[in-house]
Amino acid sequence: MQKASSLSGQPRATGTSSAPRTIDYKALVGRFWPWLFLAVLCLFFEIWSQVIQQRSFVFNAYNLQSIALAASAPMLLAIGQTFVIITAGIDLSVGFVMGLAAVCAAQFTLIGGSSPWALGLSVPLTIAVSVIPGAINGTLVARYRVPAFIGTLGMYGIARGAGFLAAGSGMTVSVDNPGLQWLGSGWNPVIVTVVLLAVMHFILSRTRFGQYTYAVGGNEQSAARAGINVRRHKIVIYMLAAAFAAVGGIVYTARFSAGSATAGEPMLLNSIAAVVIGGASLFGGTGNLIGTLIGALIIAVIEFGLVFINVDAFWQFIAVGVVIIVSVLIDQYKERLGV
Amino acid sequence: MNSFTKPQCTTHPARARRRLINAVMGAFMLSALAASPAHADTDHPVVALLPGVVDPFYFTMYHGAQKAAAEDNVQLLFQLPKSWNTTEQVPILKAFIAKRPDAILVSPVDAQQLIEPLTEAKNAGIKVITVDTYIGTGRYQTGSGNADFPLSFVASDNREGGRIAARTLAKAIGGKGIVFCESLKPGVSSTDARVQGFQEEMKKYPNIKVLPTLYSEDDANKAVSDVSGVMAREPGLSGVFGTNTFSGKGVAQAIHMAGKSGTVKLIVFDAVPGIDKDIKIGLVDYAIAQRPADMGYYGVKYAVDAIRGKSVPKEKSTGFVVMDKSNIDNADVKQYIYSN
Repeated sequence: MQKASSLSGQPRATGTSSAPRTIDYKALVGRFWPWLFLAVLCLFFEIWSQVIQQRSFVFNAYNLQSIALAASAPMLLAIGQTFVIITAGIDLSVGFVMGLAAVCAAQFTLIGGSSPWALGLSVPLTIAVSVIPGAINGTLVARYRVPAFIGTLGMYGIARGAGFLAAGSGMTVSVDNPGLQWLGSGWNPVIVTVVLLAVMHFILSRTRFGQYTYAVGGNEQSAARAGINVRRHKIVIYMLAAAFAAVGGIVYTARFSAGSATAGEPMLLNSIAAVVIGGASLFGGTGNLIGTLIGALIIAVIEFGLVFINVDAFWQFIAVGVVIIVSVLIDQYKERLGV
Repeated sequence: MNSFTKPQCTTHPARARRRLINAVMGAFMLSALAASPAHADTDHPVVALLPGVVDPFYFTMYHGAQKAAAEDNVQLLFQLPKSWNTTEQVPILKAFIAKRPDAILVSPVDAQQLIEPLTEAKNAGIKVITVDTYIGTGRYQTGSGNADFPLSFVASDNREGGRIAARTLAKAIGGKGIVFCESLKPGVSSTDARVQGFQEEMKKYPNIKVLPTLYSEDDANKAVSDVSGVMAREPGLSGVFGTNTFSGKGVAQAIHMAGKSGTVKLIVFDAVPGIDKDIKIGLVDYAIAQRPADMGYYGVKYAVDAIRGKSVPKEKSTGFVVMDKSNIDNADVKQYIYSN
C-alpha cells in the first residue's frame, strides 16, 4: 500500500497532468472529486437561497467573507499539516501551539504598548517561541524515531500547559493595539492566509524542497539513498508546521483582541480533516495544498451553509464526520483502481 | 493573605503529625480509617477550593474565598484544572482528599461523573459544598438519591440569569423581532439552563421569534461563522444572546463585520476583563455579570459554619448585575467585572 501510493503519488504530486488519451471519467471524478463536491455543495445552497430568498448565496460579499474567514483559521494550521502528512507524519500539537502563540502574541504586543509597530517585535518573537516545540517534535520523530502520533501527542500536552502558564493567572490575555486590530480586521486574515498559501504551494510544487518532501514521504530509505538529508528535512518540516500554527495564533489574537491558550483546540481536527479531504494519504507521499484548501473550504461551507438553511446544530457535526469518512473511502477506492 | 497564614504556622506541626499518622494508619487499616471522620481543628479549619477550569471567573471566586478565609482563620488550599474535564478534575480532587481538609468547595465539571469521587470525600469525613455547578439534581440533604450528601449549593441561578437576559433583550428591541442564543456546547448544565430560562421568558413576548440555538464549541471563529450564517438568512435579526465568553466574542465580531453594531443588540453572559471597554465602544450592548466572588465568600463561610457544627442553607443564589453603557462607569457596578 505504502509503495503503491508512493509510486502513483510522485507524478500526481508534481502537478503536471498526465492527461489520458481517452477520457477516463472515473479517474477524473476520483482526482477532482473534492472540487466536484465543493461545487455541488455551493450549488445546493445557491438553489436553496434563490428559491427561498430570491438572492444569491455564492455571489454575496458578506457570505463569501464569512466563509473565507471561517476557513482561514484552520487553513493556516493545515498548510503546515499538509507538509507533515506528506512525509507520512502527523502533528497533533499544532492546535495548542496555536494557543501558545495566541497568548504569546498578546503578551509580546503588550510590551510594545499601543504603538502600531509593536507587531514588528511581537510577530517575530511569537514565531521564534513557537518553532521551539516544532523543532523538538522534529527531533523526536526524525532522530529518535518516536512515532509522530506519540511524540506530537506529548507536545500537545506540553504546549497546552505552556500556553496556560504564558497566559499568567487567567485563560485569556486581552490586548488593545491598533496594529494588531488592523491585522485582524476585514479581509486581512484571509489575505495573509492566501499569500502564505501561494508561497507554500510554490515551494511544495515547484522547488527542490517540495520534491524532497514527497520523496521522504514516499519512501524514506530510497530518499536517504538518493542523498537527501532526511533527518534535517523532517525537522525543518515540523518547525514549519509550528510556524504556521504560530501565524494562526497571531491572527486569532488579532481578530478577537485576546489571546487564549485554548484558541486552537477545536482547529486541530479540522486542519487534519482538511488535509485528508484534500486527498493526502496518511501513509505519506501524496497530497497538495490546493487539495487542502478545497478541504478547508468544504468544511467551512458545510458549517456556514447548514446554519444558513437552519439545520439543527447537531447535524453539522454529523455532516463533517461523514465527509471525512467518505473522502477516505474514495481515496481507498482510488488506490484499488490505481487511478 | 499573610494575615491568616501566620497563625497557621503555630498549628502546623500538629497538623503534619496528624497527616503522618493518617498516612501510616492508611497503609495498614484503610477501611477502618475511611469510616472514621477527620477531626477538625475548628479554630483553624482547612478548606480546599477546587473550581472547574482556569479562567477569570474562578479566580474572582478564589478572591472572594480568600476574603472569607482571612476573616475566619481558614487555611485555604487552591488548585485549578487546566481544562473543563472530569479526567483533569478528579485527580486533583483525589489529591485533596488525601490531604484531609475539613471541607472541600468544588465546582463539579460533570453532574454524574463527580458523584463517586465526592462520595469518597464524604466517607473520609470531609464536608462537601458545591459552588457554581452541582452533582445529581442540585437538591441536597433530601435523604434520597446517592448525590444529596453535599451540605450546600452556592451558585447563580442560571435559569434566572437566562430570564434576565431575555427581559433585558426584549426591552432593548422594543418587544418585537428575531433573536437566538449562541451557546457553548450541548450538555453543559449552566449554559443549558441559561438558554432554557431565556426561551421560557421569551414566550411572554408573542412578537419575538426565537430561532434554534447554535453551539460555538467555545471557539470564537465558529461563533462568527454561526452568526454570519443566521444573519445571511434572516436580515431582520434583532438580537443575540451569547451564553458564555467566547461565544459572545464571536457574536460581537460577526455583528461588527456586518456593520450592524447597535442595530442587532447583543447581550452576553459573564463580565470578563475588558468587558467595560467592549460595552463603551458598542461592541456589546449588555453584559450579565455573575457574582463569583460571593460564591467563594459564602462557600467558605458555610464550610466554616458546618465545621463548627452550625447548620447551613442547602441552597444560596448569589444574584446578577446587568451592565450597560449607562452604568458601566459606576464603581458599584464596575466592581463586578471579573479579575485575573
